[in-house]
Amino acid sequence: MFSGLADLGTAYLGFLNPTSIALGLGGALLGIIVGILPGLSATLVIALLTTVTIKLPANNAILVLICSYVGALYGGSRTAILLNIPGTAANAASCADGYALAQRGEAGRAIGIATSGAFSGTLFGVICLALFTPSLAEVALSFGAFEFFWLALFGVVISGSIVGDDPIKGWLMGALGLFLAQIGQEGIYAHNRFTFGWDELSGGISLIPALVGAFGLAEVLTTLADPLEKKLVEVKDSVLPRFREVFQYWRTVLRSGIIGVGTGLLPGVGEDAGAWMSYAAAKATTKEKALFGKGSIDGLMAAETGDMASIPGHIIPALALGIPGSAPSAVLLAAMIIHGIQPGPMMMITHPQFVYEVVAMTSLATVSILFFGLFLVRPLLIVLRIRRTVLMPVVYVLCTVGAFASASRLFDVYAMLVIGIGAFFLRRRGYQMAPFVLGMVLGPLLDKSLRRGLVLSDGSLTPFFSRPISLTLATVTIFTMLLYVPAFKRGVLGLTSGASALLRSLFGRGS
Amino acid sequence: MSATPDGLDEPGRIGDEAPPEDPRAVAAADLRGGLLWLVFGVAVLVGSLTMDRLEHQNINPVTVPGLLPGLLGLALIALGSVLAIRSWRRGGRGGSPPPLDAALFRRLAWVNGLILVFTFGLVGHGLPFWLASALYVATSILVLQTPQRRLEGRSLGVREFAFAVAVGLGSGAVISYVFQELFLVRLP
Repeated sequence: MFSGLADLGTAYLGFLNPTSIALGLGGALLGIIVGILPGLSATLVIALLTTVTIKLPANNAILVLICSYVGALYGGSRTAILLNIPGTAANAASCADGYALAQRGEAGRAIGIATSGAFSGTLFGVICLALFTPSLAEVALSFGAFEFFWLALFGVVISGSIVGDDPIKGWLMGALGLFLAQIGQEGIYAHNRFTFGWDELSGGISLIPALVGAFGLAEVLTTLADPLEKKLVEVKDSVLPRFREVFQYWRTVLRSGIIGVGTGLLPGVGEDAGAWMSYAAAKATTKEKALFGKGSIDGLMAAETGDMASIPGHIIPALALGIPGSAPSAVLLAAMIIHGIQPGPMMMITHPQFVYEVVAMTSLATVSILFFGLFLVRPLLIVLRIRRTVLMPVVYVLCTVGAFASASRLFDVYAMLVIGIGAFFLRRRGYQMAPFVLGMVLGPLLDKSLRRGLVLSDGSLTPFFSRPISLTLATVTIFTMLLYVPAFKRGVLGLTSGASALLRSLFGRGS
Repeated sequence: MSATPDGLDEPGRIGDEAPPEDPRAVAAADLRGGLLWLVFGVAVLVGSLTMDRLEHQNINPVTVPGLLPGLLGLALIALGSVLAIRSWRRGGRGGSPPPLDAALFRRLAWVNGLILVFTFGLVGHGLPFWLASALYVATSILVLQTPQRRLEGRSLGVREFAFAVAVGLGSGAVISYVFQELFLVRLP
């Protein structure tokens, strides 16, 4: 406990130098700018910055990435408020109330509420990150191949189920990601799989080029395919954060913080789930239900607190288990591996200080967004006036550099191009990218865990179902999939309604 | 939304929303998608079954490299079949997928064409990256902004041309400097 506090103190002191502060602020600023620009996502900015910062020391590189992650989600709220278009997917829940406030001349107030909600949410998440990551990593130390097999499968299945409207399409994308991760030299016997004698494929399809394609090029194509330019609402009133409203809506802030961190812990679910669930919970409990969607401060505060609290929530499983909570945290995880830090249960043994350093980095990111929320709201809105026909070609050049830079292979640029064009068409048909990303990240882990587990059990499947944690994860995974079988769902609904009727009758008799 | 003659974007319109897609057309598209996934799954399964089992290395038979890919092939077949059957039941058999908007198609063809020329023609063939980027960015801006000019009844003027070239050269120079000089990252 006290050694943890000492480590945390050391980590904070380690970042109190001009270089780290400048890099953190720079990362947050770039993140905010990208977040403000509709269509460009947090995943893209982190993937591109991973390549820019590849030669920096690990701590400074990860600091830039975390600050840009937090900045992008915060910046996205501006677009939601002023254009009624979410800057990133996570800000969709802020659109209705934020834009309604802006239309009645309170755009500055809405931005101020978004800033205070984002600051409070991230701060709450940082506290959870510091408290829970070491404990979760300690529990995960008891995980073996069987548990990791189910954990990886659980991640892909849950992500496919929750993200998007159609779980079948989500699972298909998860399976596609898992398959692409199998291409190239496999990790046990170094045998080439699906390379068709092509040497370039032996190295596999790298995660960063794939993500730059799926989130960068696909966005460039999507943006240029939809030529709609919307009118920006003018900001006339004060944009300063209103912390009085944080105290006034403290229940909403606390509830949304808990929901944000909670959804963040689920693999591959994404920040938008935290925002929407917080928004729904606020709507269910508020006294001003009629105002929701028409400029409710409670609703805007809930959405912004929920999505920002889910950022540290997503980092917790990425650090403790090596299972990312969202697409941006998957890139973050890949960046950590590039810089020689292997996230997962062993991290508390190999790099015990790193968890606390991440806590310090996320704290610095929180302070950075407050800084920009206080001082740079109006100048940053200029980026919204850049025409997409000017911006998007530049973004594609950045995608090319981002795909190439991590391994200096032109093959990665071609892979980015193919995946990007494929992702564009798949997205138009309702296929989501988050399960695909999670599949690509977890593919090698799933493969190794399955085969190692089978060696340990001498080919028997029993330990995959008999060990307590394996059994729990297997039950949840299989149950989640079966819930989409109509007959099974009807049975479950029948059972639950029967059980609740029984409970009601029991309590009814007792009273 | 109407398109300009060459099918490029028509900026400046506010409030247009895409009409909702016909459910039968969506089902028809999903039916075709499901069948494609099914074929892909069969290909993955066949590839896994015919993959070297490394018997000459005397490996444990339960650790053959094709094990997980084979299971993934089965999963793709199962999920693709479910998608196809579901879409069939929802009326996908009789319908046809939503038609691809001709203007959208032309716009995408332009954007993709420029991207392909840049990626395969300009990058990595000896041309300095800043110059390749400048050429691509400037050309893209000029081409993609053509409809805006036509809408306003203007032809390509020196000002627009200079703007596109300036943005191209500026972005090429800044990207090259930041990546190569400041952060020591190799460029293609």
